[in-house]
Amino acid sequence: MITAFAVAPVVLVTLLIGLRGVAAMRTTSDFLVASRRVSPLLNSAAVSGEYLSAASFLGVAGLVVKDGVGSLWYPVGFTAGYIAMLTLVAAPMRRSGALTVPDFAEARLASPSLRRLAAVVVLVIGALYLVPQFRTAGLVLSVVSGTPYWVGVAISGAAVSATLALGGMRAATYVQAFQFVFKLVLFIIPAIWLLVQAGPGVRDEAVNPVEFTHFGDQTRVEFRVGATLDVPEGAEEITDDGARRPVPSGEWQVPAGTTVEFAEGSRVPELRGEPAPGADGWERPLLDLHDEGHPLLGTWAVLIATMLGTMGLPHVIMRFHTSPDGRAARRTAALTVALLSVFYLFPGIYGVLGRVLVPHLYLSGATDSAVVALPAQVDDGTVGTLFTGLLTAGAFAAFLATSLGLLLVVAGAISHDLVPGGLRQLRVAVVGAAVTVVLLALPAAGFDAGTLVTWGFTVAASTFCPLLVLGIWWRGLTAHGAIAGVAVGLVSTAGAFLLTLSGPPVTGWVALLLVQPAPWSVPLAFATMIVVSLFGRPPPWSTAAMLRLHLDEHRPSPFADRATLARDLGHSSWTARRSSAVRRITRRLVR
Amino acid sequence: MTGRRVAVTSPQTRLAHARRRYRGRWRPTTLDPAEAPRAVALYRVQLRRAIGALALLFTLIFGLPLLLAVWPSLGGLRVFGIPASWLIPVAVPFPAMVALGFWHLRRAERAEEQ
Repeated sequence: MITAFAVAPVVLVTLLIGLRGVAAMRTTSDFLVASRRVSPLLNSAAVSGEYLSAASFLGVAGLVVKDGVGSLWYPVGFTAGYIAMLTLVAAPMRRSGALTVPDFAEARLASPSLRRLAAVVVLVIGALYLVPQFRTAGLVLSVVSGTPYWVGVAISGAAVSATLALGGMRAATYVQAFQFVFKLVLFIIPAIWLLVQAGPGVRDEAVNPVEFTHFGDQTRVEFRVGATLDVPEGAEEITDDGARRPVPSGEWQVPAGTTVEFAEGSRVPELRGEPAPGADGWERPLLDLHDEGHPLLGTWAVLIATMLGTMGLPHVIMRFHTSPDGRAARRTAALTVALLSVFYLFPGIYGVLGRVLVPHLYLSGATDSAVVALPAQVDDGTVGTLFTGLLTAGAFAAFLATSLGLLLVVAGAISHDLVPGGLRQLRVAVVGAAVTVVLLALPAAGFDAGTLVTWGFTVAASTFCPLLVLGIWWRGLTAHGAIAGVAVGLVSTAGAFLLTLSGPPVTGWVALLLVQPAPWSVPLAFATMIVVSLFGRPPPWSTAAMLRLHLDEHRPSPFADRATLARDLGHSSWTARRSSAVRRITRRLVR
Repeated sequence: MTGRRVAVTSPQTRLAHARRRYRGRWRPTTLDPAEAPRAVALYRVQLRRAIGALALLFTLIFGLPLLLAVWPSLGGLRVFGIPASWLIPVAVPFPAMVALGFWHLRRAERAEEQ
């Protein structure tokens, strides 16, 4: 019921604005020019709207509940990425005229094989980023309306495909800018309401964390995925006929799909390998990944991955292309930092309140749904239901905006970079990609949205970040160097993730660097690219190709002193534009 | 108004069409020799300024966790009842990054105005 009320309006309004945007565009003579005239403010709202995914809207607060205050560093890395983008990538990328990273790779290095490799990387990043979106949508719908997990995933897949098929992305800028404002309002107002409504007792508990050891109320825990619990003495559950029954202590394998009703005052079982919310170390503002005892290294690793990964996210780079010129792209990046900074002031509030009010979600691995589970804990009347609906709508908007952008990029990578084709193939690829992602998301219920999305960032940081930075700032980059670097980055990160999943018998900082390989995989990719490039020879036009990216569009006309230039070159015709002449001049200048 | 009909397409459609036509021979980027000195000067200035801004960003982003790691007593300090060490990852980096962003934006634009 809530689902229908919350989700349907989001989809409807999105479609309406999309259609309205198209109608507004038709009155201008040229849709294209109009779409390139997107102002920095509107464009940065659209970038933020696309960027704030389910991982930001729900995932960060969930990670705070589960892992502690240190998870607040994730949003810092997400935002810092746009500063890196602003300083290194935004303007030159826009000037290159490339829409995607594969495009850029071909424009700068003239290598079709690099283009195909880059397309494969886009697919990997897209999958790592899309699966958690669908998974979280399924989880949220199942928490709010009690439907099975797969129903939510399937509904989400259908909604995204239908919106794309109906052309909701046509006026993408307006839709995404609207969704940013929508998400911002639907995140801030409930946060303030929760803080006020929770009362002084809960607020006090929130800032004085204690370990979650006893159930304060009778609590229902739904295990959507199986879990291994360590049950202490004194744990009690409520049976179907309402009587209290002690749970046998020791190990308890809870099968998937079980619902357990714990009694009031009962001891809390421990999830194997995962300390309870509020346990020792929870309040420390550093990220101790996997509890390996290296909080500072863990925090830095996550910051490197998120910050450098943002530069290479394919769906974000695409948005920068709608700026009229390089300067507007740069302004867009700076404004995006400001807009994201406003949004990211709030996930922490949900996180610390969630630790007090819904800590039991950690038992079933459903902390991602903490944000939408909170209002019902504070107010069980109509107002609480209303705010649950609002937050669900916001989460769905977050999921929709990101998935739409990513699915298009993935479909584009398949139907253009890998298999050449036209618009028809693009449509087919969209549906195909959506179905694949739904199928991948079905068994992924046990993964954190935050973990998977951070993996996506790690892959982007170890492949596209070196490619873009060196491609824009170093004339010596060769196609072979770029291919080797991207391949090494992709293989090393993917290898680390596979090793992590298989559960290797390592501990300490080695385990940490397997869970979060960015601190070594990014330098490795950079080094490979540089070393292999140094063994080869960059093509003669590479200096010109690099310098062209830094030339602003609205420069004073060079025709004024063409006579001087002709004299300087020793000949007087336009043959001065020949590439050999350019090479001679640039060689003299760049040393 | 003339009766000329103009095809109205979305950027996605245009992208699809353009990509199909694009399959021709790749041509190297050209740079007008008259503009080369300006391009080189811009490249140098922007590189210097970008490195400066990035150095500040890295100091901020990696310095704050270091500060919290070597100085855990910050957790005992309270601002309006909230532990100071909880406020630091939220209240410090975001305003600082907004300021840094706009500062670099102005410097980068100024370099192009000359």
